[in-house]
Amino acid sequence: MQRRTLLGLGVAGSLAVAALGGGAAWVLRTPAWQLGSLSEAGRAVFRAVARAVLDGSLPQDSGLQARALDAHLERLSVALAALSPSTQAEVEELLSLLITAPGRRLLASLPQPWEDAPTEAVQAALQSMRQSSLTLRRQAYHALRDLTQGAYFADRATWAALGYDGPHPITPS
Amino acid sequence: MLGGARGAPPAEIECDVAIVGSGAGGGITAELLSAAGLKIVVVEEGPLKSSRDFKQLESEAYPSLYQEVAARKTADKAINIMQGRCVGGSTTVNWTSSFRTPSATLSYWREHFGLSDFSDDALSPWFLRAEQRLSIGPWLAPPNENNDLLRRGALKLGIAAAAIQRNVKGCWNLGSCGMGCPTNAKQSMLVTTIPAALDRGATLLVETRAERFEIQGERIAALHCHAVSPNGAVPDGAARTRIVARHYVLAGGAINSPGLLLRSGAPDPHGLLGTRTFLHPVVASVASFDHRVAGWQGAPQTIYSDHFLDLHAIDGPMGYKLEAPPLHPLLFATAVVGFGRDAAARLTDFANSHALLALLRDGFHAQSPGGRVKLRRDGSPELDYALTEFVMDGARRALLSMAELQFAAGALKVGVGHEQAPLYTRWEEAREGIRALPMQPLLTKVFSAHVMGGCGLAADAGRGVLRPDGVHWQLHNLSVHDGSIFPTSIGANPQLSIYGIVNRLATDLAKRLTGRDVALAAS
Repeated sequence: MQRRTLLGLGVAGSLAVAALGGGAAWVLRTPAWQLGSLSEAGRAVFRAVARAVLDGSLPQDSGLQARALDAHLERLSVALAALSPSTQAEVEELLSLLITAPGRRLLASLPQPWEDAPTEAVQAALQSMRQSSLTLRRQAYHALRDLTQGAYFADRATWAALGYDGPHPITPS
Repeated sequence: MLGGARGAPPAEIECDVAIVGSGAGGGITAELLSAAGLKIVVVEEGPLKSSRDFKQLESEAYPSLYQEVAARKTADKAINIMQGRCVGGSTTVNWTSSFRTPSATLSYWREHFGLSDFSDDALSPWFLRAEQRLSIGPWLAPPNENNDLLRRGALKLGIAAAAIQRNVKGCWNLGSCGMGCPTNAKQSMLVTTIPAALDRGATLLVETRAERFEIQGERIAALHCHAVSPNGAVPDGAARTRIVARHYVLAGGAINSPGLLLRSGAPDPHGLLGTRTFLHPVVASVASFDHRVAGWQGAPQTIYSDHFLDLHAIDGPMGYKLEAPPLHPLLFATAVVGFGRDAAARLTDFANSHALLALLRDGFHAQSPGGRVKLRRDGSPELDYALTEFVMDGARRALLSMAELQFAAGALKVGVGHEQAPLYTRWEEAREGIRALPMQPLLTKVFSAHVMGGCGLAADAGRGVLRPDGVHWQLHNLSVHDGSIFPTSIGANPQLSIYGIVNRLATDLAKRLTGRDVALAAS
């Protein structure tokens, strides 16, 4: 990969990529990012992560939940586009690994594809990354979790559940 | 004013002084140099946003007003850094806490960096004038509940807590300072020194990055700039501008200022440039109470305790300052640990949540050398900062102090910023639990809102990048006037340290360049 090493971590990143073997070629065929926004494969990762991270915060009703997730992914796409070019490159690289089967297994310890994984399986994957002794896996956990929490709770519609009534209104002077 | 939608600046600009950055250091410098009759150009990478743009919304403020969407990180991603990037810099988005540089810090600078005229007495008039200019004074409204819990907990434990001075005039006590002041009450550079400089004919280039200095021998010959997109990308065909000045003042803030000098290949015979960059690494603790706290309401950070800064000598085990930060949904959701139902339960407690943070005083011990600014492949700067065992020992003691104080104030549950910490319900349980936590990077939540150092002042070129008057040791027409000039961290929120010290540096610079005596406006 003639690109930035994963999350800027030379050694661990190179190890991960080496362990992927043919995975790198796959990465180039299945972009996580297209024309500056999340691809379908990238959205599948973040949708599964959102179900796991926001479990307990998302609406219970399946129709409402699907709409909340769609809106969340739209906000996330906008948030990702606002990141600096170097951070975008890192997130893109992380996603490019996670959307491959070997990358998903190695980095996230998730056996199933993101689309098919039950919430509990994705939560177990996140927990294993979070408590991993490998810096790279901890970094990946924080990136996925923080992007998800940030994009979700930026929205006014999520505030009632927090008991937050929004900014104090002011009359323009 | 040019740049962005205001139109491209010309390809070549001549002026007396080019100032990079419009934050605390750039703002004070711009007012003083323009008062001396100098023709100045201020180059700001961020956009111009003003009170009518400030909607108290994190989703708008973080992408438009902060460096890297308020998610700038150290190289290993273990520390999240909040730094401003807009006209006014961090002063537009800070939480208004105003402290003079502590005596113990100045004393350390005199002893270790030869800064003999950095004493309380010598700096006092410079601080006083900055305080008058920016309406810095006691905050007379009662603290909000989030801060009063700090006061009450400290009282219970018998440790000292006091009120924080603020730079506000006619403050509405909204609590939205971090998203830009919607009422123009905060006396940031955006509403004080920058408008004053513009009134005197200064030129402000916004959405324009200072890319590199053109260096010829011991002088800077020009500053090369180009337009940037809102996310910092360089658009195709970006307008380019070459600024030729007699003197250059770099005030891009720590990380960015050393970054620009590194990109420029500035002489660095002692390998000091970008080193000794400090963060006041912050750890936090969130407690829930049996009543509404509404930590988003009312002035943030109005009470502090220096008890744990003063327990040991400044060069002993790392001390820390306690404050109570504002709580807003996005900040809170990313600051609490965990995910799923555990995190959801913590978030449901938002309205009853109180938060404390501890600012660790780094840079005063051999095992606290700070970080080093490096350049990424694309030329953008990045801070490599190691959370050493020495720092993490301070972090553990800080988590213990905060949990104890919160239980003393009546907390029902305390969640400290660590991925392996459960919610504690009793102080004894918290004490045992925190003592056993593995204090490692990316397990311990660490933040920073105070970036300092990287272009330190010192009495000789072997110990610092700059002379005590702020002029570069090797480049004679370059001064640095921002938080990067501090040889250590400050040990207090740094805005007033920058205002006061830069007030002196810029007043002296105006005198050297023009022979004229100038002073900051009265208010």
